[in-house]
Amino acid sequence: MMQAMEYRGSFAFSIIANFFDFIFGFLQYLVFFTAAQSIAGWNSDQMLVLYGVFMLVFALQFIFLYPNLVAMGDMVNSGNLDLLLTKPINAQLILSFRRISFEELGSISTALVLLGWLTVKGVIQLTLQSVALFLVSILASMLLIYCLFLLLMCLAVFLERLDNMAQLMWSMFSLCRYPVDVYPSRLRFMFFSFLPVAYIASVPAAALLGTASASQIMTGMIIALTATFATTLLWRRTIRAYTSAGG
Amino acid sequence: MIQNRISQSFNAHLATLQAHFKIIFTYRGMMLIQAVRLILLPLVLAAAWLSIEKTAENPYSDADYLLYYLLVPVILNLTDSRLVFRFPMAVRDGSLSRELLKPFPPLSGYALESIANNLIQLVYLLPFTLLAGYAISDRLQLGHLNLQLLLCMLVAIVLGGLVRMLISGSISLVGFWLEDVTTLNLILNGGIWALLGGMIVPVATFPQHIRSIAEMLPYRYMLSFPIEIVTGRLSQAQILQGFAVTIFWSLFFALIMRLIWKRGLKIYAAYGG
Repeated sequence: MMQAMEYRGSFAFSIIANFFDFIFGFLQYLVFFTAAQSIAGWNSDQMLVLYGVFMLVFALQFIFLYPNLVAMGDMVNSGNLDLLLTKPINAQLILSFRRISFEELGSISTALVLLGWLTVKGVIQLTLQSVALFLVSILASMLLIYCLFLLLMCLAVFLERLDNMAQLMWSMFSLCRYPVDVYPSRLRFMFFSFLPVAYIASVPAAALLGTASASQIMTGMIIALTATFATTLLWRRTIRAYTSAGG
Repeated sequence: MIQNRISQSFNAHLATLQAHFKIIFTYRGMMLIQAVRLILLPLVLAAAWLSIEKTAENPYSDADYLLYYLLVPVILNLTDSRLVFRFPMAVRDGSLSRELLKPFPPLSGYALESIANNLIQLVYLLPFTLLAGYAISDRLQLGHLNLQLLLCMLVAIVLGGLVRMLISGSISLVGFWLEDVTTLNLILNGGIWALLGGMIVPVATFPQHIRSIAEMLPYRYMLSFPIEIVTGRLSQAQILQGFAVTIFWSLFFALIMRLIWKRGLKIYAAYGG
């Protein structure tokens, strides 16, 4: 994903980068567990679930963000943010069904294979409730990522620079790579409310593992919807300010 | 008439001043974002390591992990190298030809630019590190620090930066053949470095067999080694050994660069570069 965000039009390399992204993410967890037995109550199998969910969420999100990323690529190259106005990025909230590319299928498949293997292994118990909770939480997660994306776009418009945003976004996702339980309680509270990072990967993973409550999932959805509403407003405001300032 | 001229001139000056402020403001914004990026992952990792089940084989205590990840952003910043992005671009768009005419090797130019960038970034990183260090000072163990250790750390940082620069340089030079070296860089410089260099896991806490491999590779010396010196657990001999390994890798990659440079330049010239 990082590769495509620094989109230069080289598809072959994005496929390879996607692949290595996955491999290195996977290795990251393996390497971590050479020196640790468990982390905040999550053992290595459960962490793999987290990783699978993390990958799945991002693979899915990538499909929806992709048209915007292409547009961004043009903007980065031309240094011209005016294209923002011609591409109705906000409208991308509506599912844009276009040809799903090979590499995107690849990412989703890999994540699903990993999660499937963990189900077979017995780490994930599929019940009606866990699946339902999982689906709702995934939806909330994707909305939240979209909000983050919009926020970073607002920042890019404000600073009139786009290049660092992709990398900043990727860095912020490192907050989601480890279970939210690792953080001290006050930080954890923040991650469940104002900076709802917990709902991006941790909570969906917990849903699959059967450790998340329905109320938690519902809260996450409410927060996601509120955030989407708020950031969309902010985005519209930013664009208006940008155009009225003579762009 | 004169009044008109004066107000015109004034407006022009004001506009220029505003433009400069805008540039500096944007630049500051970029630096701040970069600082945030450097700090985020270490923060997450520190939290992660602090919440693991402590086992007997693990030589690191909470205090060690805290100190480790406190220092990571600064070391990371100082040894970082932007070379690999600049050079292949210059090959691709032909601006390398212009650079070659200068009485100054183009790679050195980019290297210096990279170093300057890193030093400026310290303006944002050092205050944060010092403040954070102060905030958690009761949880850190710094009693063993002395001037000698600090000096060794500085030397280690310089050497680590050097070897990273040379590895980046070698990868950049592949830009003579490959249009996009970013993937190669991601793997060789990014991925493996994060895994075995001490980012995800401090090298000293690896199990023995992985640690021996990590200590032979150059990556450890770009990040883990300077910090290990500061934790005071390395003997003089081990520190000197570390320096030796770093110097070995530096020479190795310097040699590679020399070989690639000559051949690459021939190819570049052949394309009418």
